[in-house]
Amino acid sequence: MSDKNNQVSRRQFLNYSLTGLGGFMAAGMLVPMLRFAVDPVLQQKSAMGDLANVGLSVDDITEEPQRVDWEVEQVDGWYESNVNRTAWVFKDENGDIQAFSPECKHLGCFVSWEGSEDYPNEFFCPCHDGRYYKDGTNVPHTPPLSPLDVYEHKVDNGILYLGEPKPREEA
Amino acid sequence: MKKGKGMRFVGDSRISADKTSTVPKDYSEYPGRTEAFWPNFLLKEWLVGSVFLVGFLCATIAAPAPLEGVADPTTAGYIPLPDWYFLFLYELLKYDFASGPYILFGILILPGLAFGALLLAPFLDNGPGRRPPNRPIAVGMMLLALASVFWLTYESASKVDWKEKAEANKPIPPSDLVIDTDDPGYAVYENSCIGCHGDSLEGGAAGPSLIGIEETPEEISKIAVEGIGDMPPGMFTGTDEELEQLVEFIMSVNEEAAE
Amino acid sequence: MIQKLYDWIDERIDVAPIWRDIADHEVPEHVNPAYHFSAFVYCFGGLTFFVVVIQVLSGMFLTMYYVPDIENAWKSVYYLQSQVAHGQIVRGMHHWGASVVIVMLLLHTMRVFFQGAYKKPRELNWMVGVLIFFVMLGLGFTGYLLPWDNKAYFATQVGLDIANQVPFIGPELKTLLAGDPKIVGAQTLTRFFAIHVFFLPGALFALLAVHFILIRRQGIAGPL
Repeated sequence: MSDKNNQVSRRQFLNYSLTGLGGFMAAGMLVPMLRFAVDPVLQQKSAMGDLANVGLSVDDITEEPQRVDWEVEQVDGWYESNVNRTAWVFKDENGDIQAFSPECKHLGCFVSWEGSEDYPNEFFCPCHDGRYYKDGTNVPHTPPLSPLDVYEHKVDNGILYLGEPKPREEA
Repeated sequence: MKKGKGMRFVGDSRISADKTSTVPKDYSEYPGRTEAFWPNFLLKEWLVGSVFLVGFLCATIAAPAPLEGVADPTTAGYIPLPDWYFLFLYELLKYDFASGPYILFGILILPGLAFGALLLAPFLDNGPGRRPPNRPIAVGMMLLALASVFWLTYESASKVDWKEKAEANKPIPPSDLVIDTDDPGYAVYENSCIGCHGDSLEGGAAGPSLIGIEETPEEISKIAVEGIGDMPPGMFTGTDEELEQLVEFIMSVNEEAAE
Repeated sequence: MIQKLYDWIDERIDVAPIWRDIADHEVPEHVNPAYHFSAFVYCFGGLTFFVVVIQVLSGMFLTMYYVPDIENAWKSVYYLQSQVAHGQIVRGMHHWGASVVIVMLLLHTMRVFFQGAYKKPRELNWMVGVLIFFVMLGLGFTGYLLPWDNKAYFATQVGLDIANQVPFIGPELKTLLAGDPKIVGAQTLTRFFAIHVFFLPGALFALLAVHFILIRRQGIAGPL
């Protein structure tokens, strides 16, 4: 009992062992479970699908944004389904085709072209009165943080094909 | 109760073999008009509970729990609203200082400060006094917080036309309606309407359901030709005879559905 | 007969000490509405617990019909509400109870706050109570999605987008809750169901147990 400070007493030793063993048992149980729970976070993002035919002829695209609906195959875990996608499609001043996602960049509500009578010539989100100019950029001092997402698009045989919505690079 | 030597046990267990009384202690010696929890006070609590329960049950019978139409991600223009007790947070995000570049302030800092302060209230307000006048800061902050929560909730709720919202989102009962695809009207329907209103009139991304509508035949034929709301004119292309077949078909499906 | 049964049980488990721990304690005058009507403010905690009991029971019975699957969730709710006897009442109890429990919880919290009843030595119990409040809000948020109607879907979308805005871990947090980085769908519903029915109630029961044990150990705060 002379050098008491340096020695681990019998009770301390037992307590340490108990804590360690308890930690091992808890970890042994929880590691598989936690990995199981966080799996969606760690899964590789699936490769981008092909661009889909949205059934709209390029000649029909006007300068007025029009709503385009089409279907894509979606795999949600074990649940495979066809889901509807929507885009606002129009030609800008330069004649380039623009396809905007209708998902508000604030909190994901559905944005409509001229959705409010008070704001003509703008995209409008009814949830928090978010607004976007015709070129998709958010109106300052409205809730959205960034411009509307833009769909990848290509034109083949005069038909419009759309892919995934991509956030626009900040200009 | 006996302790130590002389204790008797049931069998080889640690259960005392001596009977102890379960009659509550006599609390009349305590200061003030103290009474026993069981059964005196609990009886009063349960009286209150019974009155509450009767009122609660009456309310559930009078007002059925709302159920809207089945979730459809493409429902355009749907204005989502959280439960009423989250409305104040939802409304907060409308303000300039809590959205746009300051969204962090709205979703993390402000609620974080408020709820953090609530959690740590005993340590922030650690003076000895318990009466509200003795701790004006804590009470003042709480009154301010309560007032802003009430005000935000009111601001958010007063803008919503609850009746119209409930009306527009009625659940459509799942029907085992059989659509007569041999009907001449269905062929017309296939040509003009199926793209938006679905192959069994159930509606879809771009058009509402045509089942359970209240329009008259004349109105339907007018809408088919001239459009309504988001529906552009000229969707129906065909002869007058085909239009008549189409309207008859839609009406017949509705009559069947109404049964 | 009952006395015999009681004696038989008492001989085996010694009821009296358990009984004393649970039910045999005094209630001071200042919380008794029979003497001071204003003491009705002390009812809110008990009523909160009463509504929690209603929520737990009605929730247990609701799962007899409900399925957490996006094809069938809405149909099962519609069915149990419109076809099953008293379905409207049972779902109504769970639906309105969720609101009432928040109201009662708020009133109870305000009573404790304005009386300063959280001061030493009751700090811990106040914090446990605030945690119960959070768990209740979590139960409200996760329960909102389960009927899988439009209201549920879009409100959850907004809630998840708020999670998405959290700095650094936002997208991961959203995926963890929703089960998919982009879709609010089948995996979201099962996750919310698990959280609503198992995880949060488990936490709630543990916190409630601590809350009640601490009340019994510390007693009700004295009169102002």
